[in-house]
Amino acid sequence: MASSAAAAAYLDADENLEAIISRIEQKSRKIETLLKQSKPVEALKTALEGSPLKTRDERCKSANWIVVHRAMMAIRDVDGMFNSLDPEYYDILMKYLYRGLSTGDRPTCDQCLKIHEKLTEKAGLGCILRSLADTVNTV
Amino acid sequence: MWAARCNCKYFGSRFASKFRPFPPPPPYHPTALHLPSPPLRQFAECITCHAWSPDHSMIAFCPNNNEVHIYKFFTDKWEKLHVLSKHDQIVSGIDWSRSTNKIVTVSHDRNSYVWTQEGHDWVPTLVILKLNRAALCVQWSPKENKFAVGSGAKSVCICYYEQDNNWWISKVVRKKHESSVTSVAWHPNNILLATTSTDGKCRVFSTFIKGVDTRGSQASSSTDWKFGEQIAQLDMSSMWAFGVKWSPSGKTLAYAGHNSMIYFIDDVETSPAAQNLALRDLPLRDILFLSERTVIGVGFDCNPMIFSADETGLWSFVRYLDERKVTTSTSRASQLSEALGKLYGQSKQAAGSDTVEPSKPRGGAHENCITCIVPLRKGNDSIVKRFSTSGLDGKIVVWDSENHIDIAK
Repeated sequence: MASSAAAAAYLDADENLEAIISRIEQKSRKIETLLKQSKPVEALKTALEGSPLKTRDERCKSANWIVVHRAMMAIRDVDGMFNSLDPEYYDILMKYLYRGLSTGDRPTCDQCLKIHEKLTEKAGLGCILRSLADTVNTV
Repeated sequence: MWAARCNCKYFGSRFASKFRPFPPPPPYHPTALHLPSPPLRQFAECITCHAWSPDHSMIAFCPNNNEVHIYKFFTDKWEKLHVLSKHDQIVSGIDWSRSTNKIVTVSHDRNSYVWTQEGHDWVPTLVILKLNRAALCVQWSPKENKFAVGSGAKSVCICYYEQDNNWWISKVVRKKHESSVTSVAWHPNNILLATTSTDGKCRVFSTFIKGVDTRGSQASSSTDWKFGEQIAQLDMSSMWAFGVKWSPSGKTLAYAGHNSMIYFIDDVETSPAAQNLALRDLPLRDILFLSERTVIGVGFDCNPMIFSADETGLWSFVRYLDERKVTTSTSRASQLSEALGKLYGQSKQAAGSDTVEPSKPRGGAHENCITCIVPLRKGNDSIVKRFSTSGLDGKIVVWDSENHIDIAK
């Protein structure tokens, strides 16, 4: 009985996956427009919002990561970004920074490290801990 | 996958230096006791847990081995009075009852002893807990007729004294926890017990035992539940939970998560209202309610933190307790990213220093993680004005709120 309930939940998640992916595509288009308007911080906020943290599906997570990556690489002024970024985004941004660091790609890592330094100053070590400890909401 | 990449050897050594015991302390100078405050004493390399005698003249602690040392304060220095050595493995929990003057100790050897003072000696009574894993924590109930033991066997043992057989009996609450029980706390009504576990959940149970507890005249709903019944399960942390405590009236429950968060829940039995507080720095290991609206948290920051609630019941972090400590959060962060930068080939500073300096003693009272905080209550005060902390650095520090904390009433 428990397994069928779990399977049913999985199927539900499957259907929602398509919804999630189309939402991410919408986000991606919105981000492109924001970047053309030279609003990289807005773009990053849009990318971080509504991230699929609870699903286990790798495609959704990778799709969202690509979108966040695009917005993150466009940021030039890291200090200025933190002036307008709300603290509620800190934890999720830290998780994406670690995902970026794990890619090993030179430009990505450079950017991630720049942001990581400032984010740690702003949010403290607790933020890093939460990104490492949270196994439920993963990016 | 990404976690493996980030677990580089730099990270490992950086955090390991915090938990490695410090080299042996310099010889103890009696003048240290005359420091204005807080009074502290380096008792051992590392202290697992501690408890005070009812008149606060003696302290019992485990110096990270299978013994319990009892020290008494004579005029101007501490002297070792007794060594209780019945356990075979590290003593993980000690509690000293205030009115009955009994010490209960639990150990990784799955046993528990209740020590009674007869003359100049402490006489142990074995309590068979029926555990197949280590016991991790213990606490006397408010009326001191029961005590609760949390264990690695995913169970909690409630022990009570059976007058007829002159023997302590243990009743086990099984199958409710999914992992080790790290901390237990009694509600003032002597029946409800809150537990935290490494499965991240905080649970509240009824421990009503016929013959020991009375149903009482108060019409509270808690007296209707039978032994071992789970009243509530709080699922707010996805990470290990530690240090659960009830407020003096029993209205609020608080516990710390290993993900650097602290959780406050009001009215657990009826309509739980929860608050999460994300901490800026490292996680807490134990907490203590000083009053209904003030909480002290201690943990890996080596510095107690004050939390207080305003009139609406909203909790927030006030400040660190030890002002002598220099906040190193900024320098730590830049050290961290400098090292991460070195890992990836950038160098932000002159490449002379190849090694990152280990965390040096920060000038605060504690130099390593604080694992245990114990109140020093005077009489029947519900407000705690003095409390002591002990940690992995082997120090026990007594803090006095009159001198240190100004709490907005």
